[in-house]
Amino acid sequence: MYWQLTSSGHLPDEYDVAVIEGAATTGEHIETLRKVRETAAVVIALGTCAVTGGIPALAGTLDYDARYGVVYGDGIAVARGRQVPVPVTSVIAVDYQVPGCPIDPAEFVKVLSRALMGLKDAIPVDPMCAICKTEENICFLDQGKACLGLVTRTGCGAKCVSLSRPCTGCRGLSPEANLPAARRVYADKGLDPAELDRLFDLYNAAREVVL
Amino acid sequence: MFFRVIDKARLPDLVKGLATEYEVIAPIAKGEQFVYAAVTDPADMRLDYDTTLLPPKRFFFPSEETLMRFRVADNEVLDDEVYAAPRVLFGLHPCDINALLLMDNVFSGKYEDPYYLRRREQTLLIGISCTPSETCFCNVWDTNEVHWGFDVFLTDLGDRYFASCRTVKGAEILDRFVENRQVTDQDTTDFQSVVHGFKNSFKRVADTTQLPVLLDAKFDSPIWDEFGDRCLSCGACSMVCPTCYCFDVEDRLEPDQKSGVRVRTWDSCQFKEFAAVAHGQNFRESRASRVKYRYYHKQWGYLSKFERVLCVGCGRCARACPAGITPENVIAALQTGEVR
Ligand code: SF4
Ligand code: SF4
Ligand code: SF4
Ligand code: SF4
Repeated sequence: MYWQLTSSGHLPDEYDVAVIEGAATTGEHIETLRKVRETAAVVIALGTCAVTGGIPALAGTLDYDARYGVVYGDGIAVARGRQVPVPVTSVIAVDYQVPGCPIDPAEFVKVLSRALMGLKDAIPVDPMCAICKTEENICFLDQGKACLGLVTRTGCGAKCVSLSRPCTGCRGLSPEANLPAARRVYADKGLDPAELDRLFDLYNAAREVVL
Repeated sequence: MFFRVIDKARLPDLVKGLATEYEVIAPIAKGEQFVYAAVTDPADMRLDYDTTLLPPKRFFFPSEETLMRFRVADNEVLDDEVYAAPRVLFGLHPCDINALLLMDNVFSGKYEDPYYLRRREQTLLIGISCTPSETCFCNVWDTNEVHWGFDVFLTDLGDRYFASCRTVKGAEILDRFVENRQVTDQDTTDFQSVVHGFKNSFKRVADTTQLPVLLDAKFDSPIWDEFGDRCLSCGACSMVCPTCYCFDVEDRLEPDQKSGVRVRTWDSCQFKEFAAVAHGQNFRESRASRVKYRYYHKQWGYLSKFERVLCVGCGRCARACPAGITPENVIAALQTGEVR
Protein backbone atom coordinates (compact mmCIF):
# COMPACT_ATOMS: atom_id res chain seq x y z
CA MET A 1 0.00 0.00 0.00
CA TYR A 2 1.23 3.43 -0.94
CA TRP A 3 -0.15 6.57 0.70
CA GLN A 4 1.18 9.74 -0.83
CA LEU A 5 0.36 12.02 2.08
CA THR A 6 2.45 9.92 4.46
CA SER A 7 5.36 9.16 2.19
CA SER A 8 8.04 11.18 0.47
CA GLY A 9 8.97 8.36 -1.89
CA HIS A 10 8.21 8.31 -5.59
CA LEU A 11 5.00 7.00 -7.01
CA PRO A 12 5.20 3.27 -7.67
CA ASP A 13 5.31 2.09 -11.26
CA GLU A 14 2.05 0.24 -11.11
CA TYR A 15 -0.98 -0.26 -8.85
CA ASP A 16 -3.77 -2.78 -8.57
CA VAL A 17 -6.20 -0.23 -7.20
CA ALA A 18 -5.67 3.52 -6.95
CA VAL A 19 -8.01 5.37 -4.60
CA ILE A 20 -7.99 9.11 -5.28
CA GLU A 21 -9.40 11.76 -3.00
CA GLY A 22 -9.80 15.48 -3.56
CA ALA A 23 -10.27 17.85 -6.47
CA ALA A 24 -7.44 18.58 -8.90
CA THR A 25 -6.25 22.13 -8.19
CA THR A 26 -2.85 22.39 -9.94
CA GLY A 27 -1.24 21.37 -13.18
CA GLU A 28 0.86 18.88 -11.27
CA HIS A 29 -2.32 17.20 -9.98
CA ILE A 30 -3.52 16.79 -13.53
CA GLU A 31 -0.25 15.17 -14.57
CA THR A 32 -0.29 12.86 -11.56
CA LEU A 33 -3.82 11.81 -12.32
CA ARG A 34 -2.96 10.95 -15.92
CA LYS A 35 0.03 8.95 -14.77
CA VAL A 36 -1.99 7.06 -12.19
CA ARG A 37 -4.62 6.25 -14.79
CA GLU A 38 -1.94 4.75 -17.01
CA THR A 39 -0.36 2.70 -14.26
CA ALA A 40 -3.37 1.58 -12.22
CA ALA A 41 -5.55 -1.34 -13.17
CA VAL A 42 -8.48 0.16 -11.27
CA VAL A 43 -9.18 3.76 -10.24
CA ILE A 44 -11.66 4.70 -7.53
CA ALA A 45 -12.68 8.34 -7.08
CA LEU A 46 -13.31 8.77 -3.36
CA GLY A 47 -15.44 11.53 -1.89
CA THR A 48 -17.39 14.39 -3.37
CA CYS A 49 -14.34 16.55 -4.26
CA ALA A 50 -13.01 13.76 -6.48
CA VAL A 51 -16.42 12.83 -7.88
CA THR A 52 -18.14 16.20 -8.51
CA GLY A 53 -15.50 18.78 -7.58
CA GLY A 54 -17.32 19.38 -4.31
CA ILE A 55 -16.87 22.60 -2.38
CA PRO A 56 -13.45 23.47 -3.94
CA ALA A 57 -15.13 23.74 -7.35
CA LEU A 58 -17.20 26.64 -5.99
CA ALA A 59 -14.04 28.72 -6.41
CA GLY A 60 -14.56 28.56 -10.14
CA THR A 61 -18.04 30.09 -10.16
CA LEU A 62 -16.74 33.70 -10.28
CA ASP A 63 -13.37 35.24 -11.14
CA TYR A 64 -11.03 32.63 -9.74
CA ASP A 65 -7.86 34.79 -9.54
CA ALA A 66 -9.68 37.66 -7.83
CA ARG A 67 -11.08 35.22 -5.28
CA TYR A 68 -7.66 33.78 -4.66
CA GLY A 69 -6.39 37.27 -3.83
CA VAL A 70 -9.26 37.93 -1.42
CA VAL A 71 -8.59 34.74 0.50
CA TYR A 72 -4.78 34.60 0.51
CA GLY A 73 -3.83 38.25 -0.03
CA ASP A 74 -1.42 39.56 -2.65
CA GLY A 75 2.23 38.67 -2.79
CA ILE A 76 1.73 35.29 -1.11
CA ALA A 77 3.64 32.43 -2.69
CA VAL A 78 0.91 30.32 -4.21
CA ALA A 79 0.84 26.76 -5.44
CA ARG A 80 2.58 26.53 -8.78
CA GLY A 81 0.27 25.99 -11.72
CA ARG A 82 -2.84 26.55 -9.65
CA GLN A 83 -6.06 26.32 -11.57
CA VAL A 84 -9.82 26.23 -11.06
CA PRO A 85 -10.46 23.09 -8.99
CA VAL A 86 -12.01 20.29 -11.02
CA PRO A 87 -13.15 16.78 -10.11
CA VAL A 88 -10.93 13.79 -10.81
CA THR A 89 -13.77 12.39 -12.91
CA SER A 90 -13.41 15.27 -15.38
CA VAL A 91 -9.71 14.62 -15.92
CA ILE A 92 -9.51 10.85 -16.23
CA ALA A 93 -11.94 7.96 -16.63
CA VAL A 94 -12.56 6.31 -13.26
CA ASP A 95 -13.86 2.80 -12.71
CA TYR A 96 -15.71 3.38 -9.45
CA GLN A 97 -17.07 6.40 -7.63
CA VAL A 98 -17.80 6.84 -3.94
CA PRO A 99 -19.57 10.18 -3.60
CA GLY A 100 -20.44 11.84 -0.30
CA CYS A 101 -19.19 14.61 1.94
CA PRO A 102 -18.21 12.87 4.11
CA ILE A 103 -18.23 9.43 2.50
CA ASP A 104 -19.94 6.49 4.12
CA PRO A 105 -17.14 4.02 5.01
CA ALA A 106 -19.54 1.12 4.51
CA GLU A 107 -20.15 2.26 0.94
CA PHE A 108 -16.41 2.47 0.36
CA VAL A 109 -15.91 -1.08 1.63
CA LYS A 110 -18.69 -2.26 -0.66
CA VAL A 111 -17.14 -0.54 -3.67
CA LEU A 112 -13.68 -1.86 -2.81
CA SER A 113 -15.05 -5.41 -2.61
CA ARG A 114 -16.68 -5.00 -5.99
CA ALA A 115 -13.39 -3.73 -7.39
CA LEU A 116 -11.49 -6.70 -5.93
CA MET A 117 -14.05 -9.12 -7.36
CA GLY A 118 -13.97 -7.41 -10.74
CA LEU A 119 -17.67 -6.50 -10.64
CA LYS A 120 -18.67 -3.32 -12.38
CA ASP A 121 -19.64 -0.17 -10.50
CA ALA A 122 -23.14 -0.33 -9.07
CA ILE A 123 -23.46 3.27 -7.95
CA PRO A 124 -27.14 4.12 -7.44
CA VAL A 125 -28.56 6.44 -10.08
CA ASP A 126 -32.01 7.47 -8.87
CA PRO A 127 -32.94 10.55 -6.82
CA MET A 128 -33.19 10.47 -3.03
CA CYS A 129 -36.92 10.85 -2.30
CA ALA A 130 -37.78 7.13 -2.40
CA ILE A 131 -35.46 6.20 0.45
CA CYS A 132 -36.50 9.35 2.29
CA LYS A 133 -40.08 8.05 2.17
CA THR A 134 -39.05 4.66 3.51
CA GLU A 135 -37.49 6.51 6.46
CA GLU A 136 -40.88 8.16 7.05
CA ASN A 137 -39.48 11.67 6.99
CA ILE A 138 -41.79 14.61 6.66
CA CYS A 139 -40.88 16.23 3.34
CA PHE A 140 -39.19 19.61 3.62
CA LEU A 141 -40.84 20.79 0.43
CA ASP A 142 -44.23 20.33 2.08
CA GLN A 143 -43.04 22.65 4.83
CA GLY A 144 -42.05 25.26 2.25
CA LYS A 145 -38.35 24.55 2.76
CA ALA A 146 -35.82 23.87 0.03
CA CYS A 147 -34.44 20.34 -0.18
CA LEU A 148 -32.24 18.95 -2.95
CA GLY A 149 -33.15 15.29 -2.48
CA LEU A 150 -35.41 15.34 -5.50
CA VAL A 151 -32.43 15.69 -7.86
CA THR A 152 -29.58 14.23 -5.76
CA ARG A 153 -28.10 10.78 -6.28
CA THR A 154 -29.47 8.36 -3.69
CA GLY A 155 -27.37 5.94 -1.64
CA CYS A 156 -26.90 7.61 1.74
CA GLY A 157 -30.27 6.52 3.14
CA ALA A 158 -31.43 10.16 3.21
CA LYS A 159 -29.23 10.68 6.27
CA CYS A 160 -29.54 14.44 6.49
CA VAL A 161 -33.30 14.55 6.14
CA SER A 162 -33.60 11.82 8.77
CA LEU A 163 -31.55 14.12 11.03
CA SER A 164 -33.95 16.99 10.29
CA ARG A 165 -31.71 18.77 7.78
CA PRO A 166 -32.59 19.22 4.14
CA CYS A 167 -30.49 17.38 1.56
CA THR A 168 -27.73 19.70 0.28
CA GLY A 169 -26.81 17.55 -2.71
CA CYS A 170 -23.44 16.28 -1.47
CA ARG A 171 -23.73 13.07 -3.48
CA GLY A 172 -24.03 14.96 -6.73
CA LEU A 173 -26.67 15.15 -9.41
CA SER A 174 -28.66 11.99 -10.01
CA PRO A 175 -28.18 11.00 -13.67
CA GLU A 176 -31.94 10.43 -13.65
CA ALA A 177 -32.76 13.86 -12.22
CA ASN A 178 -35.40 15.87 -14.05
CA LEU A 179 -34.14 19.40 -13.35
CA PRO A 180 -36.85 21.33 -15.23
CA ALA A 181 -39.51 19.33 -13.34
CA ALA A 182 -37.73 19.95 -10.05
CA ARG A 183 -37.66 23.72 -10.68
CA ARG A 184 -41.36 23.53 -11.39
CA VAL A 185 -41.91 21.71 -8.08
CA TYR A 186 -40.04 24.52 -6.32
CA ALA A 187 -42.31 27.10 -7.95
CA ASP A 188 -45.42 25.09 -7.01
CA LYS A 189 -44.30 24.91 -3.40
CA GLY A 190 -43.75 28.66 -3.23
CA LEU A 191 -39.95 28.50 -3.51
CA ASP A 192 -37.80 30.36 -6.02
CA PRO A 193 -36.81 27.89 -8.78
CA ALA A 194 -33.43 29.65 -9.12
CA GLU A 195 -32.79 28.70 -5.49
CA LEU A 196 -32.55 25.05 -6.54
CA ASP A 197 -29.59 25.77 -8.81
CA ARG A 198 -27.98 28.15 -6.38
CA LEU A 199 -28.10 25.67 -3.50
CA PHE A 200 -26.97 22.87 -5.75
CA ASP A 201 -23.76 24.79 -6.55
CA LEU A 202 -22.42 24.11 -3.06
CA TYR A 203 -21.19 20.64 -3.99
CA ASN A 204 -21.82 20.68 -7.70
CA ALA A 205 -20.48 23.91 -9.17
CA ALA A 206 -18.47 21.84 -11.67
CA ARG A 207 -21.49 19.78 -12.78
CA GLU A 208 -21.09 20.88 -16.39
CA VAL A 209 -17.68 19.23 -16.65
CA VAL A 210 -18.83 16.05 -14.90
CA LEU A 211 -21.81 15.41 -17.11
CA MET B 1 -69.08 -12.86 11.90
CA PHE B 2 -70.11 -12.12 15.45
CA PHE B 3 -70.35 -8.83 17.26
CA ARG B 4 -69.60 -7.27 20.61
CA VAL B 5 -69.80 -3.78 22.05
CA ILE B 6 -66.90 -2.23 23.95
CA ASP B 7 -67.16 0.88 26.07
CA LYS B 8 -64.69 3.45 24.69
CA ALA B 9 -63.13 4.03 28.10
CA ARG B 10 -62.22 0.33 28.26
CA LEU B 11 -60.23 0.25 25.03
CA PRO B 12 -56.85 0.78 26.74
CA ASP B 13 -57.47 -2.51 28.61
CA LEU B 14 -57.53 -4.30 25.30
CA VAL B 15 -54.24 -2.76 24.21
CA LYS B 16 -52.56 -3.45 27.56
CA GLY B 17 -53.82 -7.03 27.52
CA LEU B 18 -52.58 -7.60 23.98
CA ALA B 19 -49.22 -6.12 24.88
CA THR B 20 -48.64 -8.94 27.37
CA GLU B 21 -48.53 -11.45 24.52
CA TYR B 22 -47.88 -9.55 21.35
CA GLU B 23 -45.88 -6.68 20.01
CA VAL B 24 -48.56 -4.02 19.46
CA ILE B 25 -48.12 -1.77 16.46
CA ALA B 26 -50.42 1.25 16.24
CA PRO B 27 -50.53 4.74 14.73
CA ILE B 28 -48.66 7.41 16.69
CA ALA B 29 -47.90 11.05 15.91
CA LYS B 30 -44.75 12.11 14.03
CA GLY B 31 -44.74 15.90 13.86
CA GLU B 32 -48.11 16.75 12.40
CA GLN B 33 -48.34 13.42 10.63
CA PHE B 34 -48.61 9.81 11.70
CA VAL B 35 -46.63 6.58 11.52
CA TYR B 36 -47.16 3.00 12.62
CA ALA B 37 -44.85 2.11 15.47
CA ALA B 38 -44.61 -0.25 18.43
CA VAL B 39 -46.57 1.06 21.43
CA THR B 40 -46.53 -0.04 25.02
CA ASP B 41 -48.61 2.77 26.48
CA PRO B 42 -52.11 2.97 24.93
CA ALA B 43 -52.04 6.74 25.57
CA ASP B 44 -49.46 7.09 22.76
CA MET B 45 -51.89 5.74 20.19
CA ARG B 46 -53.58 8.23 17.90
CA LEU B 47 -56.70 6.48 16.69
CA ASP B 48 -57.88 9.81 15.26
CA TYR B 49 -55.08 9.69 12.64
CA ASP B 50 -55.98 10.45 9.03
CA THR B 51 -53.35 8.33 7.31
CA THR B 52 -49.79 7.22 8.00
CA LEU B 53 -46.64 8.18 6.11
CA LEU B 54 -45.90 4.55 5.25
CA PRO B 55 -48.62 1.93 4.99
CA PRO B 56 -48.60 -1.20 7.20
CA LYS B 57 -47.13 -3.32 4.36
CA ARG B 58 -43.68 -2.92 5.86
CA PHE B 59 -44.60 -5.19 8.78
CA PHE B 60 -44.97 -8.04 6.28
CA PHE B 61 -42.69 -6.89 3.49
CA PRO B 62 -39.99 -4.63 4.99
CA SER B 63 -38.29 -1.98 2.87
CA GLU B 64 -35.08 -3.98 3.30
CA GLU B 65 -34.79 -7.55 4.57
CA THR B 66 -32.24 -10.33 4.58
CA LEU B 67 -33.60 -13.39 2.82
CA MET B 68 -30.67 -15.65 3.68
CA ARG B 69 -27.01 -15.90 4.52
CA PHE B 70 -24.76 -18.02 2.33
CA ARG B 71 -21.20 -19.32 2.16
CA VAL B 72 -19.32 -18.53 -1.02
CA ALA B 73 -17.02 -21.58 -1.19
CA ASP B 74 -19.74 -24.21 -1.59
CA ASN B 75 -22.87 -22.07 -2.17
CA GLU B 76 -24.29 -23.43 1.09
CA VAL B 77 -27.27 -21.60 2.62
CA LEU B 78 -26.33 -20.85 6.22
CA ASP B 79 -29.57 -19.35 7.47
CA ASP B 80 -32.87 -18.70 5.80
CA GLU B 81 -35.14 -18.70 8.84
CA VAL B 82 -38.01 -16.24 8.81
CA TYR B 83 -38.02 -14.52 12.15
CA ALA B 84 -41.55 -13.33 12.84
CA ALA B 85 -42.65 -12.46 16.36
CA PRO B 86 -46.36 -12.52 17.25
CA ARG B 87 -47.76 -9.09 16.51
CA VAL B 88 -50.96 -7.11 16.50
CA LEU B 89 -51.49 -4.30 14.03
CA PHE B 90 -53.96 -2.09 15.82
CA GLY B 91 -56.07 0.59 14.17
CA LEU B 92 -55.90 -0.16 10.47
CA HIS B 93 -58.32 1.69 8.23
CA PRO B 94 -60.43 -0.25 5.69
CA CYS B 95 -58.21 0.85 2.76
CA ASP B 96 -55.11 -0.61 4.38
CA ILE B 97 -56.78 -3.92 5.22
CA ASN B 98 -58.05 -4.15 1.64
CA ALA B 99 -54.53 -3.35 0.45
CA LEU B 100 -53.15 -6.33 2.36
CA LEU B 101 -55.74 -8.56 0.68
CA LEU B 102 -54.43 -7.33 -2.69
CA MET B 103 -50.86 -8.03 -1.58
CA ASP B 104 -51.91 -11.54 -0.47
CA ASN B 105 -52.94 -12.33 -4.04
CA VAL B 106 -49.40 -11.67 -5.15
CA PHE B 107 -47.41 -13.17 -2.29
CA SER B 108 -49.55 -16.30 -1.90
CA GLY B 109 -50.27 -16.91 -5.57
CA LYS B 110 -48.30 -19.12 -7.91
CA TYR B 111 -45.06 -18.33 -6.08
CA GLU B 112 -45.59 -18.40 -2.35
CA ASP B 113 -43.46 -15.95 -0.46
CA PRO B 114 -42.54 -17.58 2.87
CA TYR B 115 -41.24 -14.32 4.35
CA TYR B 116 -44.42 -12.38 3.75
CA LEU B 117 -46.72 -15.31 4.60
CA ARG B 118 -44.99 -16.21 7.84
CA ARG B 119 -45.38 -12.66 9.14
CA ARG B 120 -48.94 -12.57 7.91
CA GLU B 121 -49.73 -15.75 9.89
CA GLN B 122 -48.12 -14.32 13.00
CA THR B 123 -50.01 -11.03 12.91
CA LEU B 124 -53.48 -10.16 14.13
CA LEU B 125 -55.24 -7.25 12.47
CA ILE B 126 -57.56 -4.93 14.34
CA GLY B 127 -59.26 -2.40 12.11
CA ILE B 128 -60.91 0.86 13.05
CA SER B 129 -63.40 3.14 11.33
CA CYS B 130 -62.18 6.48 10.00
CA THR B 131 -63.18 9.88 8.70
CA PRO B 132 -62.24 10.59 5.07
CA SER B 133 -59.42 13.13 4.72
CA GLU B 134 -58.84 15.59 1.87
CA THR B 135 -56.88 13.01 -0.10
CA CYS B 136 -58.92 9.84 0.55
CA PHE B 137 -60.78 8.33 -2.39
CA CYS B 138 -61.33 4.71 -1.36
CA ASN B 139 -65.01 5.27 -2.15
CA VAL B 140 -64.05 5.28 -5.84
CA TRP B 141 -62.86 1.67 -5.65
CA ASP B 142 -65.33 0.43 -3.00
CA THR B 143 -62.45 -0.18 -0.64
CA ASN B 144 -64.07 1.98 2.02
CA GLU B 145 -65.71 -1.21 3.26
CA VAL B 146 -63.87 -4.31 4.36
CA HIS B 147 -65.53 -7.63 5.04
CA TRP B 148 -62.67 -10.00 5.65
CA GLY B 149 -58.94 -10.00 6.19
CA PHE B 150 -59.15 -8.71 9.79
CA ASP B 151 -59.61 -10.31 13.18
CA VAL B 152 -61.62 -7.50 14.76
CA PHE B 153 -62.97 -4.30 13.24
CA LEU B 154 -63.99 -1.49 15.57
CA THR B 155 -66.62 0.97 14.39
CA ASP B 156 -66.66 4.12 16.47
CA LEU B 157 -70.19 4.84 17.74
CA GLY B 158 -69.15 7.84 19.82
CA ASP B 159 -69.12 6.49 23.39
CA ARG B 160 -68.54 2.86 22.39
CA TYR B 161 -67.17 0.62 19.67
CA PHE B 162 -69.19 -1.80 17.61
CA ALA B 163 -66.72 -4.68 17.31
CA SER B 164 -67.06 -7.05 14.35
CA CYS B 165 -65.14 -10.25 14.99
CA ARG B 166 -64.15 -11.94 11.76
CA THR B 167 -62.10 -14.73 13.34
CA VAL B 168 -62.37 -16.91 16.42
CA LYS B 169 -59.05 -15.53 17.52
CA GLY B 170 -60.50 -12.03 17.29
CA ALA B 171 -63.44 -12.95 19.52
CA GLU B 172 -61.09 -14.69 21.93
CA ILE B 173 -58.83 -11.71 22.46
CA LEU B 174 -61.82 -9.47 23.12
CA ASP B 175 -63.20 -11.87 25.70
CA ARG B 176 -59.86 -12.32 27.35
CA PHE B 177 -58.65 -8.74 27.51
CA VAL B 178 -61.54 -6.31 27.61
CA GLU B 179 -64.95 -6.04 29.21
CA ASN B 180 -67.57 -6.30 26.45
CA ARG B 181 -71.23 -7.05 25.96
CA GLN B 182 -73.70 -8.42 23.43
CA VAL B 183 -75.03 -6.13 20.72
CA THR B 184 -78.51 -4.62 21.17
CA ASP B 185 -80.87 -3.46 18.42
CA GLN B 186 -79.98 0.11 19.34
CA ASP B 187 -76.27 -0.63 18.74
CA THR B 188 -77.06 -2.02 15.29
CA THR B 189 -79.20 1.00 14.42
CA ASP B 190 -76.44 3.35 15.53
CA PHE B 191 -73.89 1.31 13.57
CA GLN B 192 -76.02 1.70 10.43
CA SER B 193 -76.28 5.43 10.83
CA VAL B 194 -72.52 5.81 11.40
CA VAL B 195 -71.55 3.77 8.33
CA HIS B 196 -74.04 5.63 6.13
CA GLY B 197 -72.70 8.94 7.37
CA PHE B 198 -69.19 7.70 6.56
CA LYS B 199 -70.17 6.68 3.06
CA ASN B 200 -71.68 10.09 2.39
CA SER B 201 -68.78 12.08 3.77
CA PHE B 202 -66.24 11.57 0.97
CA LYS B 203 -64.99 14.72 -0.64
CA ARG B 204 -63.47 13.23 -3.75
CA VAL B 205 -65.12 11.54 -6.67
CA ALA B 206 -63.21 10.33 -9.71
CA ASP B 207 -64.87 9.36 -12.97
CA THR B 208 -63.57 5.85 -13.55
CA THR B 209 -66.07 5.00 -16.29
CA GLN B 210 -64.55 2.40 -18.64
CA LEU B 211 -61.07 3.15 -17.33
CA PRO B 212 -59.41 0.00 -18.75
CA VAL B 213 -60.82 0.81 -22.19
CA LEU B 214 -59.54 4.37 -21.96
CA LEU B 215 -56.09 3.19 -20.95
CA ASP B 216 -55.87 1.09 -24.10
CA ALA B 217 -57.65 3.47 -26.43
CA LYS B 218 -55.50 6.40 -25.32
CA PHE B 219 -52.25 4.51 -25.19
CA ASP B 220 -50.50 7.10 -27.35
CA SER B 221 -52.17 10.14 -25.82
CA PRO B 222 -49.95 13.20 -25.30
CA ILE B 223 -51.11 13.32 -21.68
CA TRP B 224 -48.43 10.75 -20.89
CA ASP B 225 -45.71 13.00 -22.29
CA GLU B 226 -47.01 15.79 -20.14
CA PHE B 227 -46.92 13.63 -17.00
CA GLY B 228 -43.50 12.35 -18.06
CA ASP B 229 -42.21 15.92 -18.28
CA ARG B 230 -43.41 16.58 -14.73
CA CYS B 231 -42.24 13.34 -13.14
CA LEU B 232 -39.00 13.35 -11.14
CA SER B 233 -38.56 9.56 -11.40
CA CYS B 234 -38.11 9.61 -7.66
CA GLY B 235 -40.16 6.50 -6.86
CA ALA B 236 -41.79 8.09 -3.82
CA CYS B 237 -45.22 7.03 -5.11
CA SER B 238 -44.33 3.33 -5.02
CA MET B 239 -42.67 3.45 -1.61
CA VAL B 240 -45.70 4.92 0.15
CA CYS B 241 -48.22 2.79 -1.72
CA PRO B 242 -49.84 0.01 0.33
CA THR B 243 -50.34 -2.07 -2.81
CA CYS B 244 -46.98 -1.69 -4.58
CA TYR B 245 -45.07 -4.90 -4.09
CA CYS B 246 -42.09 -4.70 -6.45
CA PHE B 247 -38.69 -5.54 -5.06
CA ASP B 248 -35.08 -5.93 -6.06
CA VAL B 249 -32.77 -8.70 -4.84
CA GLU B 250 -29.07 -8.22 -4.32
CA ASP B 251 -26.27 -10.43 -2.99
CA ARG B 252 -23.91 -8.55 -0.69
CA LEU B 253 -20.63 -10.16 0.23
CA GLU B 254 -18.91 -9.59 3.54
CA PRO B 255 -15.57 -7.77 3.22
CA ASP B 256 -13.70 -11.09 3.58
CA GLN B 257 -15.72 -12.38 0.59
CA LYS B 258 -16.22 -15.74 2.27
CA SER B 259 -19.91 -15.31 3.03
CA GLY B 260 -22.67 -12.97 2.10
CA VAL B 261 -26.30 -12.08 2.49
CA ARG B 262 -29.09 -12.00 -0.03
CA VAL B 263 -31.11 -8.86 0.55
CA ARG B 264 -34.33 -7.64 -0.93
CA THR B 265 -35.37 -4.03 -1.05
CA TRP B 266 -38.42 -2.16 -2.30
CA ASP B 267 -38.20 -1.19 -5.95
CA SER B 268 -40.22 1.11 -8.18
CA CYS B 269 -41.26 0.95 -11.81
CA GLN B 270 -40.49 4.68 -11.91
CA PHE B 271 -36.76 3.98 -11.67
CA LYS B 272 -35.00 3.75 -14.99
CA GLU B 273 -33.13 0.56 -14.17
CA PHE B 274 -36.39 -1.23 -13.29
CA ALA B 275 -36.95 -2.27 -16.90
CA ALA B 276 -33.31 -2.54 -17.92
CA VAL B 277 -32.38 -6.00 -19.17
CA ALA B 278 -29.22 -7.70 -20.39
CA HIS B 279 -27.38 -6.04 -23.24
CA GLY B 280 -28.31 -2.58 -21.99
CA GLN B 281 -31.82 -2.70 -23.44
CA ASN B 282 -34.54 -0.86 -21.58
CA PHE B 283 -38.12 -1.35 -22.58
CA ARG B 284 -39.28 1.65 -20.56
CA GLU B 285 -36.60 4.18 -21.26
CA SER B 286 -38.70 7.35 -21.21
CA ARG B 287 -40.24 8.86 -18.09
CA ALA B 288 -43.58 9.09 -19.91
CA SER B 289 -43.61 5.34 -20.52
CA ARG B 290 -42.83 4.71 -16.87
CA VAL B 291 -45.58 6.91 -15.46
CA LYS B 292 -47.97 5.30 -17.94
CA TYR B 293 -46.86 1.85 -16.88
CA ARG B 294 -47.62 2.57 -13.23
CA TYR B 295 -51.22 3.33 -14.11
CA TYR B 296 -51.45 0.48 -16.55
CA HIS B 297 -50.30 -1.98 -13.99
CA LYS B 298 -52.59 -0.67 -11.28
CA GLN B 299 -55.76 -0.03 -13.21
CA TRP B 300 -55.55 -2.67 -15.88
CA GLY B 301 -52.78 -5.30 -15.55
CA TYR B 302 -53.66 -6.35 -12.04
CA LEU B 303 -57.37 -6.02 -12.74
CA SER B 304 -57.15 -8.42 -15.66
CA LYS B 305 -55.57 -10.98 -13.39
CA PHE B 306 -57.29 -10.54 -10.03
CA GLU B 307 -60.51 -8.68 -10.91
CA ARG B 308 -59.65 -5.74 -8.67
CA VAL B 309 -57.65 -2.62 -9.39
CA LEU B 310 -54.32 -2.39 -7.56
CA CYS B 311 -55.25 0.78 -5.69
CA VAL B 312 -57.30 1.29 -2.56
CA GLY B 313 -57.59 5.07 -2.77
CA CYS B 314 -55.57 5.76 0.36
CA GLY B 315 -54.21 8.97 -1.20
CA ARG B 316 -50.66 8.42 0.04
CA CYS B 317 -49.10 8.74 -3.40
CA ALA B 318 -51.04 11.96 -3.95
CA ARG B 319 -49.55 13.34 -0.73
CA ALA B 320 -46.06 12.05 -1.44
CA CYS B 321 -45.56 13.00 -5.08
CA PRO B 322 -43.59 16.25 -5.15
CA ALA B 323 -44.79 16.86 -8.71
CA GLY B 324 -48.50 16.59 -7.94
CA ILE B 325 -49.07 13.51 -10.11
CA THR B 326 -52.06 11.85 -8.45
CA PRO B 327 -54.38 9.00 -9.48
CA GLU B 328 -57.20 11.50 -9.64
CA ASN B 329 -55.28 13.82 -12.00
CA VAL B 330 -54.29 10.93 -14.20
CA ILE B 331 -57.81 9.50 -14.35
CA ALA B 332 -59.23 12.96 -15.07
CA ALA B 333 -56.66 13.49 -17.82
CA LEU B 334 -57.65 10.17 -19.39
CA GLN B 335 -61.30 11.22 -19.36
CA THR B 336 -60.81 14.75 -20.65
CA GLY B 337 -57.56 14.51 -22.64
CA GLU B 338 -56.16 17.42 -20.65
CA VAL B 339 -53.62 17.52 -17.84
CA ARG B 340 -54.58 19.98 -15.18
S1 SF4 C 1 -37.39 15.88 2.20
FE1 SF4 C 1 -36.06 16.08 0.39
S2 SF4 C 1 -35.31 14.00 -0.03
FE2 SF4 C 1 -37.09 13.83 1.34
S3 SF4 C 1 -38.87 13.51 -0.01
FE3 SF4 C 1 -38.70 15.73 0.38
S4 SF4 C 1 -37.47 16.52 -1.33
FE4 SF4 C 1 -37.17 14.31 -1.28
S1 SF4 D 1 -51.86 4.17 -5.90
FE1 SF4 D 1 -51.84 5.87 -4.41
S2 SF4 D 1 -53.96 6.00 -3.67
FE2 SF4 D 1 -53.74 4.02 -4.70
S3 SF4 D 1 -53.23 2.59 -3.06
FE3 SF4 D 1 -51.28 3.32 -3.93
S4 SF4 D 1 -50.70 5.08 -2.66
FE4 SF4 D 1 -52.87 4.65 -2.24
S1 SF4 E 1 -47.12 0.27 -9.86
FE1 SF4 E 1 -44.97 -0.13 -10.31
S2 SF4 E 1 -43.93 -0.46 -8.33
FE2 SF4 E 1 -46.16 -0.59 -8.01
S3 SF4 E 1 -46.62 -2.78 -8.13
FE3 SF4 E 1 -46.95 -1.91 -10.18
S4 SF4 E 1 -45.01 -2.19 -11.23
FE4 SF4 E 1 -44.60 -2.45 -9.06
S1 SF4 F 1 -43.75 10.38 -6.78
FE1 SF4 F 1 -44.40 11.65 -8.52
S2 SF4 F 1 -42.51 12.51 -9.31
FE2 SF4 F 1 -41.92 10.78 -8.02
S3 SF4 F 1 -41.82 9.01 -9.44
FE3 SF4 F 1 -43.88 9.03 -8.58
S4 SF4 F 1 -45.10 10.18 -10.09
FE4 SF4 F 1 -42.93 10.65 -10.50
